[in-house]
Amino acid sequence: MSQRKALTWALQVVLVGFAGMQLFPLAWVFIASLQRSGDLFGNDLLRLPTDPQWHNYTRAWTDGQIVRYGLNSLIVVTTSTVASTALSFCMGYALARMRWRWKRLVLGVLGLGMVVPIHATLLPNFIWYGYFGLIDTRLGLIIPYVAFTLSFNTLVYTGHFRNLPTALEEAALLDGASWPRILWSIVAPLATPATVTVAVMTFLSGWNEFIMANTYLASDELRTLPFSIIRFEGQYSSDYAAQFACMVIVALPALALYLFFSKHIMAGATAGAVKE
Amino acid sequence: MAWLVLPGLAVLVFSLAVPLGFSVYYSLTDWDGLGAYQRVGLDNYRSILTDDPVFWRSLRNVVALIAVTIFVQNPCAFVLAAFLSRLSSRASRLLRTIYFVPAVLSLVIVAKLWVDVYNPTFGILNKLLRAVGLDALAISWLSNPSTSLAAVIWIIVWQGFGWALLFYYAALMTVPRDLEEAARVDGASWLATYRHVIIPHLYPVISTVIVIDVISSMKQMELIYLTTAGGPGQLTQFLGVYLYQKAFVSGEYGYGNALSVLFVLLSAGLTFLVQRGMRVLSR
Repeated sequence: MSQRKALTWALQVVLVGFAGMQLFPLAWVFIASLQRSGDLFGNDLLRLPTDPQWHNYTRAWTDGQIVRYGLNSLIVVTTSTVASTALSFCMGYALARMRWRWKRLVLGVLGLGMVVPIHATLLPNFIWYGYFGLIDTRLGLIIPYVAFTLSFNTLVYTGHFRNLPTALEEAALLDGASWPRILWSIVAPLATPATVTVAVMTFLSGWNEFIMANTYLASDELRTLPFSIIRFEGQYSSDYAAQFACMVIVALPALALYLFFSKHIMAGATAGAVKE
Repeated sequence: MAWLVLPGLAVLVFSLAVPLGFSVYYSLTDWDGLGAYQRVGLDNYRSILTDDPVFWRSLRNVVALIAVTIFVQNPCAFVLAAFLSRLSSRASRLLRTIYFVPAVLSLVIVAKLWVDVYNPTFGILNKLLRAVGLDALAISWLSNPSTSLAAVIWIIVWQGFGWALLFYYAALMTVPRDLEEAARVDGASWLATYRHVIIPHLYPVISTVIVIDVISSMKQMELIYLTTAGGPGQLTQFLGVYLYQKAFVSGEYGYGNALSVLFVLLSAGLTFLVQRGMRVLSR
């Protein structure tokens, strides 16, 4: 019995130890964000700030251009989330229901979206988007954000629709309802769990995205939120405390979204890989 | 119902298929992004494959990352997921939520965070090492040639740990209870139950996770670009970073496109191979 007890105890230590490993760097950043920049160079390991320097956050807020970049992120990411969700809803439904000659081709193109690394498209898209004047525009960021989330989202929807009975749709079709109407008032409400997953995952990935924004945007007016942190590399690079505060500010919306929708995010993350 | 597919398909063709075609076309030229260019046939590919040590270094680093992911991160994640599946659902949910936190943060935050943790003067890692008397180990982790690759791989493994754990946890939840109980009734030990009953039951999921590991290792870019940018001396170079620098720093559009094409081919080829291999193994 005591051996069993020791085992349980060891197990808990391991579990908590890993949790500490995942959280410790974040906790350090948060603590450092409340200290003076100079405190960082002291010998103390982790000194809980007795005198929290909240004005670090004010400097982070203004020097990091949080409002401007945050609004840009909001515009680009909301638009691409709505577009990607709507398009993948349609594609997922069609793929789950239809028997179609070109289905294999569509699946092939979707597979391309899963396999092709975003980074391999940065250079050719930079050239190609240039022809349409899309470089350094919001639309030029929205389009690839939609493109690179479509495949995964369609997969989530297809999986969801496969488990839904078709009786309701067939009845509506017999009653003479049009396809847009069936999709909007019958299929969409039934797909709500998948829609929440898809929308949250798409929003989060756009919100966190950096490399496409770094490549396709040139002007400061259009930059998105991750650039707040990058700003501290140049001009304000010695203001460590504000830099840490800025990381906290940028992380918070994503963390809040995650905590609020953790069930949907975890369901979405394993979609397709693990069949229930 | 074809119209349901067309808008999405159009976006994918516009942003994925066409650019790939562009890449193939420009990879056969010596374009520098500005003026005129000449067709040079397969010259770019020839010099990448026969005369570019950085390209091969990038591949070696990807292999190292894949190995660490599959042989270190995945087993840890699996064991932890197995532990979690025996806890009360409240405790397990809380812990799973914590483990997944790094996975929902922007890669920019993760990268900058670790650059600061590794910082030789104020980084918490070296402070900890000094505190326990390991002053000799308090080095500049990201710029020291003998530790830089390991330091970068650690960041990637740390960030991806929540994903691996989540996959295995979800998989373990699908194991039928009676399957496990039957084995226990037959007198199988805890370990034997896992080895002979549960793990074989999960082969399909494990192979899917390994395929995902391989693809995502290939695609690593931002975390390297924002921490070491491939340095010191190209030691931590990865394909995504390398082609980015060739394209947008040195302006070698022809060469960069050839790297892009190889990148796509390698990702697709490797995915296919691993998928095939796993299918054969799990038979």
